[in-house]
Amino acid sequence: MNRVLIANRGEIALRVVRACREEGLETVAVYSAADRSSPHVRAADRAVAIGPPAPSESYLNIARLVEAAVTTGADAVHPGYGFLAERAAFAEAVEAAGLTWIGPPPSAIRAMGDKTEARRRMAAAGVPIVPGASAPVGDIGPALGLAREVGYPVMVKAAAGGGGKGMRVVRTPEALPGALESAANEALKAFGDASVYLEKFIERPRHVEIQVLADHTRTIHLGERECSIQRRHQKLVEESPSMAVDSDLREWMGAAAVSAAEAVGYRGAGTCEFLLASDRSFYFLEMNTRIQVEHPVTELVYGVDLVREQLRIAAGEPMRVHAGWLSPRGWAMECRITSEDPANGFLPGTGRIDYLRIPGGPGVRWDAGVDVGDEVTLYYDSMLAKLIVWAPDRAQAITRMRRALDELAVLGVATNQAFHRRLFADPEFRAGEVDIQFLDRRADLLQPAPSPEEVLQLAVAAALAEDEARRTRRPAVAGDDGASDAWTRQALLEGLR
Amino acid sequence: MKYFVSLFGRDIEVDVDGDAVTVDGKTQTATLGVVAGTPIRQLLHDERSEALALDPLGSGRWLITRRGERVEVEVLDERARHIRGLTGGGERARGPAVLKAPMPGLVVRVQVEAGQPVAAGAGLVVLEAMKMENELRAAVPGVIRAVRVGPGETVEKGQVLVEFESGS
Repeated sequence: MNRVLIANRGEIALRVVRACREEGLETVAVYSAADRSSPHVRAADRAVAIGPPAPSESYLNIARLVEAAVTTGADAVHPGYGFLAERAAFAEAVEAAGLTWIGPPPSAIRAMGDKTEARRRMAAAGVPIVPGASAPVGDIGPALGLAREVGYPVMVKAAAGGGGKGMRVVRTPEALPGALESAANEALKAFGDASVYLEKFIERPRHVEIQVLADHTRTIHLGERECSIQRRHQKLVEESPSMAVDSDLREWMGAAAVSAAEAVGYRGAGTCEFLLASDRSFYFLEMNTRIQVEHPVTELVYGVDLVREQLRIAAGEPMRVHAGWLSPRGWAMECRITSEDPANGFLPGTGRIDYLRIPGGPGVRWDAGVDVGDEVTLYYDSMLAKLIVWAPDRAQAITRMRRALDELAVLGVATNQAFHRRLFADPEFRAGEVDIQFLDRRADLLQPAPSPEEVLQLAVAAALAEDEARRTRRPAVAGDDGASDAWTRQALLEGLR
Repeated sequence: MKYFVSLFGRDIEVDVDGDAVTVDGKTQTATLGVVAGTPIRQLLHDERSEALALDPLGSGRWLITRRGERVEVEVLDERARHIRGLTGGGERARGPAVLKAPMPGLVVRVQVEAGQPVAAGAGLVVLEAMKMENELRAAVPGVIRAVRVGPGETVEKGQVLVEFESGS
């Protein structure tokens, strides 16, 4: 393995470039017409155009991506996350072209990608699952019957893919037809597959997931990530370890995740998502057969570079992680910085990054997909960057994250930075009292809550700016007193010489 | 020069005289330094130091960004404030109202039609952007007067989607 084509864009493409560099591998970026000068293109050794901005015609075009890999002499393909990362057909096309697929075997992707099939296999392997459908639901008749059987509230979910797209919670039979239709629409657009299934919705669970890593001889787990801070099923903050998981529970959940991975012949990095109820019972949700957005928090507490391990395992080498007892060291937290405007109902915004001040100092990591001058468009994901911190314990990690969030400045595009600042200042969050409905209850955190001193400070700044603008505006008007400011006088003097 | 700054529903009187600023009867030095090569301004006021960005939006309106919070403020002098008081401008008019696209996107569904009464919070239009469907809701109760867009249509930010008569 010498040259890796990265079939992705943004933050994860840059993350893979970094791992490749450190493994001594060359990189090939791919780009759509909207991404010609994007950071991932600038970072890679080579870059290939793959089509128009629409993902379906570029980043989701299997034939074009494989062709790009072959023509650039790449011998391996890393899919990143999202786009084609969990499409077995892509993995097969890559392997059929004689290239190395940096990911699990296509059979494992297929087994876990079909959620219904995955649930059956997990149940057979002794992994606990949430009660629900054993087949995709199409017509409203059977769907209503099944919903009555497992009891409301129920969850409607896309059969393919994840990331919160194509998911709906339904509390009454009347709301079911509309939810089925909109979830199927969203699933079709996001994954090209409209099938949805239905399951019991567990009230107020935590979302806790287990990182697994498998090479040709061993399958291990690297503890949990707590991802309960979600808005509309999109994760916003992740941490490792979880306040709700002690070393016993970690070993039980870890063992379940390892069984799940072994049941499908898994290889590489993967994640088993679980719902963790308040009574410590846990249910397998799905396995993400790829690197996760939030993988850095695991890297920081386990001292493992997951992307480099992916590369090593794909090349047929053993993982670097030692055998035997593994446990997390310290505490890591991650904030996803997205171009979503809290003042505008969290709707995604666009614009150019006019200025960026990246936080630094001890224990701070910044994994970004954008830089100053970059355009944020509506074609792709709204995540701009991940701000990640490590500290000896959770309280210190929170303090460090607050410090880093204060250092961060992004101008030109509205972001959710201020929301993160409010969240990390919130007593309930700081106490670790979270579940996946936390943000539904705490809508107040989505709204600005300035202190009187802050309001005063902003008023003073605005008055000074307006005063300055009025004073400097006057001489700019062509007229009789054109020489009233120092610049103009100086220019006149220079001209006389 | 005396200014009236409105933000977060409050009106604050700020008297600026060179580097001296008077607020709430307290006079202090305040400066807005320039950070060369960046749009960042360094505010030094009341012995506090804060980095901010101030974008002029015209007619005394400014967009301030402070630690990720974007706040729109309006700064009026005494004369402008007096005129505003006489004409009643600035008060939100009752009656005809519009729903504008908060972002560029694709209209997925229109959930209302002309003549239909809607309650506050009722879904009006579903707009897709960044692969997510976003339901735009009525802020106040009213009656739909006209629907300006249809499914499949691409809209720009600020484009009028639905007109309605509010306050019924």
